[in-house]
Amino acid sequence: MRRSALRRCALRRSAWLLSAVSVLTPMAACGQDRAVAQPPAATIQRVAGPDRWASEIAAAEASARRGDRRAATQRAARITAAYEKGGARNSDEYLSAGRAYVLLGIGNAQAVRSALAAFDRATAADSNNFDAQRRAGELFLEKYNAPDARVSFEGILRRSPTDAKALLALARVEEFEGKGDPMATARLSIASDPRYAEALAFVAKMQRDAEAYDSARVYAQRAIDADSTSTAGWSVLGSMAFLNGDSATFRKALAAVTALQPAPAEFYTDLAEASVRQRRYTEAVTLAQRATGYDSLYVPAYGVLGTNQLRTGQMDAGRAALERAFVLDPFNLWHKNTLDLLDKMKTFRTIDRGRFRVVAPPEEAELLALYIVPLLEQAYDALAVRYGYKPPTPIRLEFYRYHADFSVRTVGLAGLGALGVSFGSLLAMDTPNGREKGQFNWGSTAWHELTHAFTLGASDHRVPRWLSEGLSVLEERRVGRGWGADATVSYVLAMANGKLRPISQLSDGFLRPRFPEETQFSYYQASLFCEMVEVSRGAAALPAMLKAYRDGIDTPGVFQKVLGKTPAQIDAEFEAYTQRKFAQAISAVRGTSPNDSSGGKFVATMREAAAKMGSDRDAARRLYEQARAIFPEYGGDDGPAWYLAQIAESVGDTTLALAMVEQVTSRNETAWEANLFEANLREKRGDKAGAIRALDRLNWIWPYDPTVHTRLAVLAASQGDHARAVLERRAIIAMGPTDVLDARYELARALRDAGDIAAARRELLQVLEEAPSFEKAQALLLELRGK
Amino acid sequence: MTHVGLIRWIARHARLMAVHGALALAVALPLSAQRTHVLLVIGLSGAPQFKRSFTAAAQSARDAAVNRWGVSDSSLIVLTEDSTRSALSSGRSTRENIAQSFLRLSSRVQPGDVLFVMLMGHGSGEGAQSKVNLPGPDATAAEYASWLAGFNKQQVVFVNAATGSGDFVAVLKAPNRVIVTATKTSNERNESVFLQYFAGALGMDAADADKDGRLSVFEVFRFARTEVGKVYTSSNRMQTEHALVSDSLLATRVAFGTSAASADPRITALIAERQALESDVASLRTKKATMTAEAYDAELERLLLALAEKTKAIRAAGGGS
Repeated sequence: MRRSALRRCALRRSAWLLSAVSVLTPMAACGQDRAVAQPPAATIQRVAGPDRWASEIAAAEASARRGDRRAATQRAARITAAYEKGGARNSDEYLSAGRAYVLLGIGNAQAVRSALAAFDRATAADSNNFDAQRRAGELFLEKYNAPDARVSFEGILRRSPTDAKALLALARVEEFEGKGDPMATARLSIASDPRYAEALAFVAKMQRDAEAYDSARVYAQRAIDADSTSTAGWSVLGSMAFLNGDSATFRKALAAVTALQPAPAEFYTDLAEASVRQRRYTEAVTLAQRATGYDSLYVPAYGVLGTNQLRTGQMDAGRAALERAFVLDPFNLWHKNTLDLLDKMKTFRTIDRGRFRVVAPPEEAELLALYIVPLLEQAYDALAVRYGYKPPTPIRLEFYRYHADFSVRTVGLAGLGALGVSFGSLLAMDTPNGREKGQFNWGSTAWHELTHAFTLGASDHRVPRWLSEGLSVLEERRVGRGWGADATVSYVLAMANGKLRPISQLSDGFLRPRFPEETQFSYYQASLFCEMVEVSRGAAALPAMLKAYRDGIDTPGVFQKVLGKTPAQIDAEFEAYTQRKFAQAISAVRGTSPNDSSGGKFVATMREAAAKMGSDRDAARRLYEQARAIFPEYGGDDGPAWYLAQIAESVGDTTLALAMVEQVTSRNETAWEANLFEANLREKRGDKAGAIRALDRLNWIWPYDPTVHTRLAVLAASQGDHARAVLERRAIIAMGPTDVLDARYELARALRDAGDIAAARRELLQVLEEAPSFEKAQALLLELRGK
Repeated sequence: MTHVGLIRWIARHARLMAVHGALALAVALPLSAQRTHVLLVIGLSGAPQFKRSFTAAAQSARDAAVNRWGVSDSSLIVLTEDSTRSALSSGRSTRENIAQSFLRLSSRVQPGDVLFVMLMGHGSGEGAQSKVNLPGPDATAAEYASWLAGFNKQQVVFVNAATGSGDFVAVLKAPNRVIVTATKTSNERNESVFLQYFAGALGMDAADADKDGRLSVFEVFRFARTEVGKVYTSSNRMQTEHALVSDSLLATRVAFGTSAASADPRITALIAERQALESDVASLRTKKATMTAEAYDAELERLLLALAEKTKAIRAAGGGS
């Protein structure tokens, strides 16, 4: 994935915020309708006494935990029948009735509503019944209504601030919403009850998901030590063992869980989810299939199964699994969104070419395929050599015109900030006009995502996220064309002010960013690490790291084996490398104190220059030159080189203008204006090959400008590159020009020039069939007859 | 329906179409004799950017009329919001001047001529009271209808390219009349881009969809409508203007540009032969579904080559397109 956290949870949470209103809708209805299926409160005779259903509900829940749904629902139905007939006598009985409705809630929205109503009545009957409040909150959260869940838990905590169960429940809400610090809240729960197995297992799971395996193992073991029947604890231990190939520990965990749950659907679903976090989608499918085999009513299993079947290109099977999940749980917005998107995708066009399958909106598919397939074929060949691995083909590349659709395809909800995603042999990304022109480069994004397919595959999906991203950015930079991230003022400032993490903790830069730009910075930082490794250890070192991960070695082990250093030594080496590399830049942007983010002398000089541009251009030029001298690596299209280029061009110094603008176009992959400026300048100077290169870069920023394609076609033809001219003429047609017949006539001419007379003739016949009077086409047809 | 039945139906339909075409020709003058008269009206602009845009559009339309359609100065009237005359302006676009212009043109037109009227500006009102804002009192759609009443022997093309112009269609619709509006209703009053594309297309080869060298009103309309759609799609905006044309059949027949006619009988004969070949191509296209692809392509290529040879011969003989 590019430029956004890959962690599913984080994505889900951030996306949730944007879609909260739509998610809330069903539960809002739920809340309004809580009295449904309840005995009228006024008719209930309040009788003190023990909870008549206490043992029955405990037995029902035990059956459910064991996976015996039949026994669980039979017992639960008996309770709810009694409740609906005679009502409850006290708060505890309301609570038991609510718990019974929860057990009947699979595929039954009415039962869910009844459960909430019963919990409400339990609380009304006894405001100290925190268990009822907590269960209501848990049910809200289970049905994706985090705000109401939060209200429930915070209500308990106001009256009992150290309630361990409520603290853990609140941590789960925070995790779901992506707000607050769920780890810290869960630790408060543990502080309140150090042997609270659920909280210990929760922390273990979070640590595992953050790839902090050592810590995860410790917490999971603590959970099991506190309660040997903690399936959550065994699950974390078992999943890590599974992912690391530790079959002995895995078998032990499986045996422990199976003793508690003869049909361990939940355990296998958790394994599947853990596999997804390591980007092992195919294994996730297999594991989720086992889970559904154990329990055909377990919704999360179908969700994981369907989602990952879709990620591995099994479109029909994925849809079927999600439809099953949605029938069982109609509250699930993720599944609904994905199913809606699949309906929309029925209109998409599929183009199979070479080793790639392009799936895109029909009006764009041909245009995008014309360029992206040759680019990715080139990438495939280069990366296969570099990493010694070939991902299975065809590689499916999906394009989405609307970013929200791409987001749903990736995480099930709108709001994901990423541009592209790689699931191995399935890549998905925005179409170039899914965003404003100049916001991203679709060529480098596709190259980046395809690189993941190689690095994931070469490491058997064991490469950590941070390294995979670093390699993808490095591979972008290798292509040239200004692709791949470059040092920005804010990055250098963050480095100068010690805000970046050491390499050994870079995973957290992606998974737990501490400030908004940290994820973005982490991409670049990871790529610098890869660059350093290659410079210091040679080109073979990076593939060797992937191989070491594939062999099951963890990051410290990989550092030691391939790089010959401990994590601390690598951190020191990297620090020295970047300090050296950016020494000049750091001194240019460093402020007067560690918290000074003004951008130092560089930004001050740029500001001064900008102020002079209107009144004293010469002074402005001198200041821009000074700014450039103190931060020569800066390639932003708001930097000194860009202004110096424009000043030089305005006084007719095209040589200097070119030299300056190249500083931008060679470093900035989205600089539309600068590339256009360069193309014009080169064409004016008769440098047709150079103009073609600049226009080509424009095309990867925004391929929808017909004038760019026309210029490329004309220039390419004049350079004798007739194949390129044909490509550009085809692109113009793919864009649906208003004067399509003239566009096709031009294609026929290009085909003639390329020596493909038969194709030129076919094209002309089709043109003249539509417009027999088209004189230029007639003349060309006559000309071709003689050939 | 069997294939035989279908073919019979096509043949009968083709005969009816031929009769219909002949009737149409009976009321219209030969292309070479048909003259075009033009009235361009620029309403109040209200802001410099609109003034620039309206003036540029009027200039495009005027250039097309003079340079491509061969409209004589006496048959070309351009009214602008300014009271001072200019190279472009024949007078101020007041209601009285517009009425006078219609009167003046009515005295010049012959049966079968084409009257092309185009309004540019900001629209207001609705139904028969729809207007384009003018200096002084505005003229209503109903008034335009009354002024057009005197042109019932001509083919009238009335283009209201102003915002909120949609209701003009219902008010002005009549036989032998094509009404084009920039918007579907009087409620579509956001800034519109239809004018610039329609006016630009009047002089643009790219709008000539069938590449016959003449621009039909429908070709211009379709070109502009497509370009307008692209503007909104490419900027990810909801389209707030939807152009209308009242009679697409007539709009296809009314065309501007030089005709292929010639006084040289040799060239006239060649042109007739070429027209016959064009008809053969049209006829062949109707049979496409009943032929093998190879047979169809071979016959198509034979006809197209013959057609191309004919054009070449016309050119060699000094004939135009």
